[in-house]
Amino acid sequence: MNNVIAKSKDVTLLEILDRVLDKGVVIAGDMVISVADVDLIYLGLKVLLSSVETMERLRGSAFPS
Amino acid sequence: MKLYIYGIIDSSNQITESTYGLEGSNIYNIPFCNIGAVVSQISQPIQDVTEGAVLKHEAVVEKLMADFTVLPVRFQTLIEGRDNLLSMMRSYYRDFKNNLERLRDKFEFGIKVIWPADKIKENIIKTLNKEQQKKLELGSSPSNKFMKDKFDKYKIDKEFEAKADKFIKVMDIFFSKFAAEKRIEKLKTENLLLDAVYLVEKDKESNFREAVEHIKTARYDFKYLFSGPWPAYNFVILSKKSGLLTDSQQTSLLNKVTQDQMLVGVDSI
Repeated sequence: MNNVIAKSKDVTLLEILDRVLDKGVVIAGDMVISVADVDLIYLGLKVLLSSVETMERLRGSAFPS
Repeated sequence: MKLYIYGIIDSSNQITESTYGLEGSNIYNIPFCNIGAVVSQISQPIQDVTEGAVLKHEAVVEKLMADFTVLPVRFQTLIEGRDNLLSMMRSYYRDFKNNLERLRDKFEFGIKVIWPADKIKENIIKTLNKEQQKKLELGSSPSNKFMKDKFDKYKIDKEFEAKADKFIKVMDIFFSKFAAEKRIEKLKTENLLLDAVYLVEKDKESNFREAVEHIKTARYDFKYLFSGPWPAYNFVILSKKSGLLTDSQQTSLLNKVTQDQMLVGVDSI
């Protein structure tokens, strides 16, 4: 019985993840980072904000600038 | 000041009930004309997708759904400052408004149908074998055998898909009766016969649920995953293809970051 409840919880979580992470309004500005006219990656601005933070963290860490 | 956006609502009024979003901050509505963007302030972008953060996001959106028509915004959507948010709202006002009107008093329901693909295929093979026994034997040379195997596989796949179409058609007839819109995907995997979402008006919810229950009794060897009511995650249609921020807004946000630096950030994600 507990197993059934746990499974049902997992299924619900998957349904939530599918929607929250992959659906809904995308209002971040997509941008393309290209090198030599080759599109490397599409970034949502939301990801870019994260990456800016990460980059700043890395600059303060042992990574060479 | 980073604003985390949960959803766009059909109201410019403040949210009266205290609701807490990510980082425990209070959520509030930033009005634009007669609609609004529901946000909370956040100190830093969410680095990791955690169950807690996703559930919190969903909890806020569902809370909004109880009182407003809501366009759910995708997880982890941040915007820098109120001015940028208002520019975004101005830019997409017509789109948001059209969607809010279209989705008013409607909810999304999800239905996944899992069928026993192996058994279905076994039955198809049995039927095909019976039919073949009646026909003349082909020669047994390797090339004949190769061609026969290929042809058999083609026939099995074709029959498998035809059966899937037949089942989906029947189910869809039942569900569509009470749905305003739908998105259907067939055979995402061999076992996942149907992965569909239906947009259902509030007052037809019980009819829709009955239709699902009715379908469930038709085939006991199929599994049905029914979920909802959800905010209309799958039914928001934006006419603008690209992002909402203008180039200059993006530049002002990112003016400290060179392309190389961005790539460092990308590598570390």
